[in-house]
Amino acid sequence: MRLFFGFTVIWCCFCGLLRAQESVDFQRDIQPILEEHCWHCHGEDEQESGLRLDQRNAMLQGGDYGQPTVVPGKPEKSYLMEVVQHVDPDMAMPPDEDKLSERKIGLLRQWIESGASWPGQMQAVEREKSSHWSFQPVVRPSPPTDFNSSSAIDAFLAKRLREKGLDFSDPVDPRTLLRRVSIVLTGLAPTPQQTTSFLRSFEEDPESAYQKQVDQLLKSRQFGERWAQHWLDVIRWAETNGSESNLYRKNSWIYRDYVIRSFNEDKPYDQFLEEQMAGDTLGVGEATGYLVAGPHVPEATVGQEPTARRQARADRMDEILQTVGASALGLSIGCARCHNHKFDPISIKDYYAMSAVFQDIEFGSRFPEMTVDHPRRVRGQQIDAELKTQRAVLRKTGPWQEEWVGYRELHFPSTTTEAVRVTFQWKGVRVDELEILGPQEWEKNLALKSNGTVAKSAKAHEQPRGDLWKIHDGNYGTEGWAARAPQDGNEKPWVEFTFTEPQDINRIRISSNRQDFMQTDYLQGMNKFNFGPLVVEARDQTGRWRRVFVSGRLAQLDEQHPIRKPALKAVQDSIQQLADEGPKPSFVGKLIQPMRSFVLQRGSPEDPRDEVFASGLTELDGGLGISPQAKGAERRLAFAQWLTQPDHPLTARVAANRLWYHIFGTGIVATTADFGLAGSPPTHPELLDWLASELREPTDPDVDSWSMKHLIRLMVLSQAFRQNNQPREDGLRVDADSRLLWRFPPRRMTAEAIRDAILQGSNSLSLSSGGKSYRIHDVKKRYAQWEVTDNHGPQTWRRMIYQERMRRVDDKMFTAFDFPDCGQVRPQRPISTTPLQALNLLNSDFIMEQSDRLAVRVMDESGDDPEVAIGRCFELLLGRRVEAAELQACLELAESHGMTMVCRALLNSNEFSLLQ
Amino acid sequence: MTHPEKLSLHGRRMLDRRRFLGTAGLSISGIALTSLLAADGLLADDQPLTAGGKMPVRPKIDPHRPYAPRPAHFEMPAKQVLVIYCPGAVSHVDTFDYKPELFKQNGKKPPGLPAVTFEGPTGNIAQPFWKFKPRGETGKMVSDLIPHLAEQVDEFCFFHALTTETSAHPQGENFFNTGFTMEGFPSLGAWVTYALGTENQELPSFVAINDPRGLARSGKNNFGNGFLPAAFQGTDFNAKHPPSNLYRPSRVSSKADRGTVDLLQKLNAQHLERFPGDADLAGRIASYELAGKMQTSVPSVMDLSSETAATLKSYGVEGGSQLRGEYAKNCILARKLLEQGVRVVQLFNGSDPSGGNGITNWDSHSNIADTHAMQAEIMDQPTAALIADLKQRGMLENTLVVWATEFGRMPFLQANGTGRDHNPGAFTCFLAGAGVKKGFSYGESDNFGFKAAVNPTSVYDFNATLLHLMGLDHERLTFYHNGLERRLTNVHGHVVRDVLA
Repeated sequence: MRLFFGFTVIWCCFCGLLRAQESVDFQRDIQPILEEHCWHCHGEDEQESGLRLDQRNAMLQGGDYGQPTVVPGKPEKSYLMEVVQHVDPDMAMPPDEDKLSERKIGLLRQWIESGASWPGQMQAVEREKSSHWSFQPVVRPSPPTDFNSSSAIDAFLAKRLREKGLDFSDPVDPRTLLRRVSIVLTGLAPTPQQTTSFLRSFEEDPESAYQKQVDQLLKSRQFGERWAQHWLDVIRWAETNGSESNLYRKNSWIYRDYVIRSFNEDKPYDQFLEEQMAGDTLGVGEATGYLVAGPHVPEATVGQEPTARRQARADRMDEILQTVGASALGLSIGCARCHNHKFDPISIKDYYAMSAVFQDIEFGSRFPEMTVDHPRRVRGQQIDAELKTQRAVLRKTGPWQEEWVGYRELHFPSTTTEAVRVTFQWKGVRVDELEILGPQEWEKNLALKSNGTVAKSAKAHEQPRGDLWKIHDGNYGTEGWAARAPQDGNEKPWVEFTFTEPQDINRIRISSNRQDFMQTDYLQGMNKFNFGPLVVEARDQTGRWRRVFVSGRLAQLDEQHPIRKPALKAVQDSIQQLADEGPKPSFVGKLIQPMRSFVLQRGSPEDPRDEVFASGLTELDGGLGISPQAKGAERRLAFAQWLTQPDHPLTARVAANRLWYHIFGTGIVATTADFGLAGSPPTHPELLDWLASELREPTDPDVDSWSMKHLIRLMVLSQAFRQNNQPREDGLRVDADSRLLWRFPPRRMTAEAIRDAILQGSNSLSLSSGGKSYRIHDVKKRYAQWEVTDNHGPQTWRRMIYQERMRRVDDKMFTAFDFPDCGQVRPQRPISTTPLQALNLLNSDFIMEQSDRLAVRVMDESGDDPEVAIGRCFELLLGRRVEAAELQACLELAESHGMTMVCRALLNSNEFSLLQ
Repeated sequence: MTHPEKLSLHGRRMLDRRRFLGTAGLSISGIALTSLLAADGLLADDQPLTAGGKMPVRPKIDPHRPYAPRPAHFEMPAKQVLVIYCPGAVSHVDTFDYKPELFKQNGKKPPGLPAVTFEGPTGNIAQPFWKFKPRGETGKMVSDLIPHLAEQVDEFCFFHALTTETSAHPQGENFFNTGFTMEGFPSLGAWVTYALGTENQELPSFVAINDPRGLARSGKNNFGNGFLPAAFQGTDFNAKHPPSNLYRPSRVSSKADRGTVDLLQKLNAQHLERFPGDADLAGRIASYELAGKMQTSVPSVMDLSSETAATLKSYGVEGGSQLRGEYAKNCILARKLLEQGVRVVQLFNGSDPSGGNGITNWDSHSNIADTHAMQAEIMDQPTAALIADLKQRGMLENTLVVWATEFGRMPFLQANGTGRDHNPGAFTCFLAGAGVKKGFSYGESDNFGFKAAVNPTSVYDFNATLLHLMGLDHERLTFYHNGLERRLTNVHGHVVRDVLA
């Protein structure tokens, strides 16, 4: 579809006007100004900032900063007028002393006002579409037929190889093949038993044995634990915020489990994307953890200046767009934040229109939406019913209070009132939020300022930054009301709420920093209440204040009514159960009222320009077919559907290529998250398009569309995957990096695969799945660095995907192995070699303990015969038999310094950590 | 919108090169390939352009020796760099940036100053808490807070009109040390060692000597590798704590250890026969040899027992607070590392505010008179002694010294307070040593030290200048990451030529 500029319509409206005025003549008045002052830098030869002023169309379109230079009829919207008047000294044109005379500026204004007529250039211009390969539709190519193979993948690869005078290498031996495919699919090496049984079936029927093995691996739970990690890398998911104090993100791991589950269930990729962008409307709330995977700067830590807060919000939105760009689109859309993308057809307007899609997202927590049959939801309802029963008992005996994690809830008999006063017994108090609730709408906060409720207090008590409005602004956190009454005398801090009309009330919820409860954990001194006993009064119709709740009387009530104590205990037990077993607040994004999106001139939140509405990329017909006022979730879902519509040229290619990269070590497009012009071109464009088509529409009608397992299966069943890894003269000469796959190129395993393999070798690895991450860090103060306290003990003997992922914290072990710091998207991990890896793998407590355990294991399993034990060691760690020379060398070391040292050496060997 | 298709044939060709090389940074073998091509002369005159329109200079990294010394882009005297970083924000108006107007306006609230800054409402102008005196031959006015450093002002080249983009510590530290306020970018030290390698093959190329109280607010970011290969991260140790896992475990005898490594290398050599010429595997073998050397070279450089009593005294190892003593040892360690040819040493004076021991960095929102005094007692004498020592040993000839902090502090107090809030609008850092003018001040803040007034200098400019002094063109030192040729200076920065000697 060709796009036409909207301005032609505008232009036509002005035609009549121009004829009437006829005062400015382009050739006489305007062209000389442009020629003298502009065209040198913005003309035919040179286009500084991507701007041309020698063509009317280019002028209307504007330059890299995305503002139309001229809007016919609207000088006030024309960027040209702003720059020639030197409004912004950094963007003053012509610069400095060359400023145009007032007369010339006046002429330009007049010219624009009268429609910016430019004889001979008044035709509508078709928007030129990019001819870059990745923006063209995917067309399913037919595999080459001259290669005798049932595998399309092999046919495409072989064709390229033959063009270069190469061919595949011989098949690799079955041991290596099993190890290779096991690690690639599950991140775990096969056990000796698995190897033995595979070899036996392989001997009988290689093809069926291998296929069976592949299917088994794809079905195993460990598959998702390997492949989820790849996805988490791209979006730099971690369990801390980064930035100031780098706080832990409470229960954010439920998103990690969602990703693992999705891979294991082979969730269709289109659904996978939709859920992550709009899971709140699809009954999988935890999936939106995707949107808040990146680091963020919390508002509370950027300081009090409004400019800094706006900047931080813009930065948070940018993190979301980086996530979406790198993972789904395969484009560096962040480049268009300050100006049009230098290489790709992404305008600054596109960038901010995409940010409009996510304007209802904030980095924070919520109770994730769940389907009605979700076990947690069901359990929550059961516990809630129990809670109600106990409350009914208490209700007969008078007021009581409940201690919830993070807040206290005061219950009192229902009363109708238009004003509530709370008086504190302590001299100094801090309250981030006080909610007043009633029996009608159980969760409706009647105290909210936005509902018209007025709060009043003693101004003299107010502490710096402890403004009263913060007590009922609906925001939890470090920003709250703080008051202090004079030390001497009887004055006490108090706060009074007046509703717009009388309300039935029966509860108050009060907290000091409920955000901690919602969002974080492992923090010293969290969830403390900085307010003590209090008195709640309600004003009756006669204007008299009546006490409805007095903390100091509760003990007396407990004495009077013996049923209270067991009932209170049951209530507290239920609350605890609810926290453990019911729905939990989780750091998977907070939903807010969508903020408006504007094109931010040069990326500055202080310079908002035209308002924009949710949309995909203009280049890819990004209209979402929703109203500008569409609700946040509706925008996100529409955006996900735009991504996964059948003719989107990027989504399937990017997904297929990423799967390829994780299997063969390099993508068909080597820059897996940049399919733009600055990215690398595909080595096998036809193969990529075939894979993308096969992902979306599998040849086999029994296979679901968008099945990632299907594509992975095809890849590992290929001859290319099953071939030998040895270097070959002819191959190296033509293609040193083995990108054409004349062999299977070996590569160092990832940090996770190495750690998991060590634990598996020593028989220490627990395959428990999901849930809270294992912790290797301390419980820290709010402003302190995380310290690694135990990165080796038994509670850490799980697969490493379950290790707490802390942004920019060195785990003192695997950070040296290019384990990412989760600061920037990491579509590919570098594979580097450093002496710190050697030191960690030789000397750490982890290695020493595991070497010991391994030594004990192999001696146990070999009847204490060192020779047999060493053989066993090779089987366990390297999946092969020990050779005579190796055995001799190992025996010598074992005899003089013990089996532990042999194990330690083997765990450090190149072969052990090489995927070959 | 710019359509790259419209590029000239030459431009397209360059982009093709860029695409091809785009894959190079991904692994050591990729880098090796690039080096190979470079050796063949294939890259000589036909490299892709950076966003700034220049040709990137890609370091030729030998996978066997990723730390091997590599040539700079152009010849400059500085071969090594020492960054003394003071987290928390040192008050420029109380140290090096003399503002007589503050004495005149003390206690007043002149118009034009903001009502709210980082921590909240602002109070009145406060004169410096220490007296200023002319120092050295240049007569530079420096306060009594830092008497030892003051003695050496004739060596220093001050930047008085620095500005930054944030008034929050972590973003400020990120910005100063990595060129971006956001997380995850490579640090200056990582960039420099990626470009230049190091002279001494038995010590790490880049050492981050952290404060005895712990890491600064941005933690590992300040010396991390970001998206560069892990090989270029700063190795974290100080005079008190060796790098983690440096020593063989106490229960392993040296013979057993030797035996383990011998067996390992035997197994590796045999394995390598199956993959002749594989650079990654050979590189990994070499890394074990380097690790072995580090086990002797690091303890030896950490051992201060051969330092003379006079040296220990001049650095202030004894006779001050315990923290000064520990920091002084770190300063001596810094000198020894530089002596041994370590390319980048980053020395921290301060940690994260809750790191223990009460005051832990320069952040002084209340009671600045005491907090800055405590911090200065730790920093002043040892730092001054370190610079003097480098000078006396002739090491300033080829060592660039950078003294830095993330932003300044306000000329006024916080409302009803006794401390100064963050000031991103003007602050002072200084350089000394190789390639830099001596006894020179560049740029001025306004009369209050509130905003940069003459020759405002962004952190980008400052970092561009640091790289230039190391013989590196900040526009050409790039690394492909996720669609972009990334630079320390993003797309900004101009070398401040006025400070070049």
